[in-house]
Amino acid sequence: MTKLLEISDLTLSFKELFATTDVLHGISLSIAAGERVALVGESGSGKSVTARIILGLLQETKTAHITGDVVFEGKDISGMVRRDRARLRGTEMSMIFQDPTSSLNPTFTIGRQFIEILRRRDGNRAKADCLLRATEMLDEVSIPNPERVLASYAFQLSGGMNQRVMIAMALANQPKLLLADEPGTALDVSVQAQTLDLMRNMVTDHRTAVLFISHNLGVVREFADRVFVIYRGNIVEDGPTAAIFADPRHAYTRALMSAVPRITGAGLPEVPEVSEAFLAPQISHGDVA
Amino acid sequence: MIRAFRILSGNPLSLLGLCLVALVVLVALLAPWIAPFPTHNGAVVDFAFANQEPSPRNWMGTDLVGRDIFSRVLYAYQVSLFLGLVVLAIAPPIGAMIGLLAGYMGGWTESVLMRIVDVFLSIPPLVLAIAMMGVLEPTLTNAMLAVTVMWWPWYARLVYSIARSEREEGYVLAAEVIGASTVHIAFREILPNCLPAIITKMTLDMGFVIIIASSLSFLGLGVQPPTPDLGSMVAEGARYLPDSWWLTVFPGLAILVVVFGFNLLGDGLREVLGVNQ
Amino acid sequence: MQSPVLRLLMRRLGISLIVLIGVSMLIFSIARVIPGDPARIALGPNATTEQVANLRAEMHLDDSLVVQYGHFVADVARGDLGMSLYTNRPVTLDIAQFLPATLELVLFAGVIMVACGLPLGILAARHKGRWQDNLVRLFTLLTVSAPSFVWAVILMLLFAFYLPLFPIAGRISDIYEIERVTGFLTIDTLLSGNLLAFGNALSHLVLPACALALSGIGQAARLTRANMVETYDRPYIEMAQAYGFFPSRIARMYAFKPSLIPSLTIIGLDFAAMLGNAFLVEAVFAWPGLSRYGVAVILRKDLNAIMGTVLVIALTFLIVNIIVDLLIAFLNPRIRHSTRASL
Repeated sequence: MTKLLEISDLTLSFKELFATTDVLHGISLSIAAGERVALVGESGSGKSVTARIILGLLQETKTAHITGDVVFEGKDISGMVRRDRARLRGTEMSMIFQDPTSSLNPTFTIGRQFIEILRRRDGNRAKADCLLRATEMLDEVSIPNPERVLASYAFQLSGGMNQRVMIAMALANQPKLLLADEPGTALDVSVQAQTLDLMRNMVTDHRTAVLFISHNLGVVREFADRVFVIYRGNIVEDGPTAAIFADPRHAYTRALMSAVPRITGAGLPEVPEVSEAFLAPQISHGDVA
Repeated sequence: MIRAFRILSGNPLSLLGLCLVALVVLVALLAPWIAPFPTHNGAVVDFAFANQEPSPRNWMGTDLVGRDIFSRVLYAYQVSLFLGLVVLAIAPPIGAMIGLLAGYMGGWTESVLMRIVDVFLSIPPLVLAIAMMGVLEPTLTNAMLAVTVMWWPWYARLVYSIARSEREEGYVLAAEVIGASTVHIAFREILPNCLPAIITKMTLDMGFVIIIASSLSFLGLGVQPPTPDLGSMVAEGARYLPDSWWLTVFPGLAILVVVFGFNLLGDGLREVLGVNQ
Repeated sequence: MQSPVLRLLMRRLGISLIVLIGVSMLIFSIARVIPGDPARIALGPNATTEQVANLRAEMHLDDSLVVQYGHFVADVARGDLGMSLYTNRPVTLDIAQFLPATLELVLFAGVIMVACGLPLGILAARHKGRWQDNLVRLFTLLTVSAPSFVWAVILMLLFAFYLPLFPIAGRISDIYEIERVTGFLTIDTLLSGNLLAFGNALSHLVLPACALALSGIGQAARLTRANMVETYDRPYIEMAQAYGFFPSRIARMYAFKPSLIPSLTIIGLDFAAMLGNAFLVEAVFAWPGLSRYGVAVILRKDLNAIMGTVLVIALTFLIVNIIVDLLIAFLNPRIRHSTRASL
């Protein structure tokens, strides 16, 4: 099975004046084309920085020191020059952020931002053509009256509406990989659940692979094919979603699961306490169940 | 405080500011002892040495009646710093009080007070001071009065904007719930949160007050001769450009040095205290 | 439906009117409440008691303060600012003669301030913490650390005396006879089609305008930097990065416009500072503007002229601020499209 994304032995540390902070201690994970993979852990465990390394954003930060391979479609991203990395962003990969409303530019209309993004693929694409495509995408995410939305600014729309717009934007260029960093955490629980359903349908239709980053196992269970559990910069357990939920073997995964809030999507799970057992080596359930 | 000082002295630019300010304050205080010609701060003439360019005897040259410019600059620093201190001892408390009242009380008090502040702020600051000096006699006291009158509204607006946002904060609501008095809430709960911003502004303003005061005397509306003042020294010398350049350049640079010092210090302080513009 | 911008304009005009009334009261009280007999001050110590009494009657000084203020407002509303004791002409006429020169100077300085200050601020923000940032910081701190008259003297010494690139003083050389249309010499010379005179007027404008603009450049640059740095921390900038836009495009398209909006307010305030600093620069460069007139009448305790000058400057400043607010409303879709324009 060919992998779309293959990360092996990735480490990340931030160098400050006198101290070095290690953030990732050599993690490996892979995503096949069209596969939905979740990376689960508490805040500060290193999941968001992983997404930013895949996008090639952290490589541009001078204080970040990165080793290991990040191979996307057979090409090593770490070895690329800046310009080549930038070329992948917004075309082959795209990203959805936590808070849709503040992630959309407040001074441009949604339509204008769609045009910008579509022109990442084809710099000369005509405005009318871009807007037509944007309308199509908004239709797909079940937005009524897309023309009105295209002429609006983000602050004029509801959070749920903006989340749909973000999903439409992220998929407008037919990327092969979508990174979703705690999508919709800023939204109401019911709206979040709705938009997650929508996102799952969309990526299935478009055969887009997803790296879904979350602290919430309940949400992950509904969404992902495979799960990686991350704790303090180490992957502690990985495997097909069903297998992990049926038989969580690592102490940290169990702690995380017992802390899952009953209502889907609410709040941060509170892991009881730090335990020696959480530092036990990685347990793998194999690739596919 | 000690921590703040350490951070401040860690930044080379802030340290430079601190040194400049300390130097100016020191030479101003010690002027009677370190000035080469201590008597030249008054109405003295020495025509034998009139209008001399800088030399080992007179580091900054002499003015048209033969007084040592270096000595006069040292004495002028005394006047500038005194004026700045007086203005900043009066204007911020008045402004803060009004801003606090408007921001915390809200309602009619807020509307009336802030409209008054708006009126003061809608006349360019220097113009208001100039207009006042136009009617008053040009003396040091009146110059301080004019600068104070134009200065307090800025503090009123600063404290008002902070107080208004703090009014909604949890700790204020909590104090209200336990029945603390209005005075207690305004002065003991809200005011301390405005202090970093006020202190930073005061440091930065020290430089601006000196600029405004020297501008008034430059126009002949401030401190009158023979009292040495940097602004009037520049004005006097400007007529003799470019030949007697030292008459204007040295007093002008003297203003730059002291204000630059206060600005560097204030800028550093802003970072230490975490205050935004 | 009424457009939000129009509603904002009406609201701002209303507030400005209230402020203007306040300003007139303030100016009136500065002139009247201060100790001493205004008529005596105006006429000087050598005037006879009879002369003083006549002037007192003419200035309504024997009425109550409220009545005096009423007279003052009624006169101002009719465009009558009284006679200047210094020029012996109506103050309105004097102001009409001298105001354009000051406005031309201040507007030109404002253009220089924006044209230099914004790019410097953007440069500093894009290279935050690096040498470009420190250099800009040092420059801006230096420029705001000296009053305009010091910069005026230094610029004059350097670029008019030592390097005779620009004229020393005045608005235009005496050899040109330009018909007065707008009072803006750069425009009037163009209207008369005399390009040499235009160049001459422009070269006279450069040094005073630069001296006036210097501290404003510093303010504008510092503020733009602060706003840009804040904008760079916003999620939508990260989103733009995640979509692979070039850093220069992100700076230009995504970060600049949101940062410009708060900067504009301060640019309005800097404009106010320039109206005041024009008093200093005009004195150095012998610029025949309102400020020089203002200083002259102040030194002669010419009350009507002082009040008129301050009133006109305050009015100019209010108008500029309304323009700035409208510009902000135009740039900021949040105000343009809000149903409730708040300010």
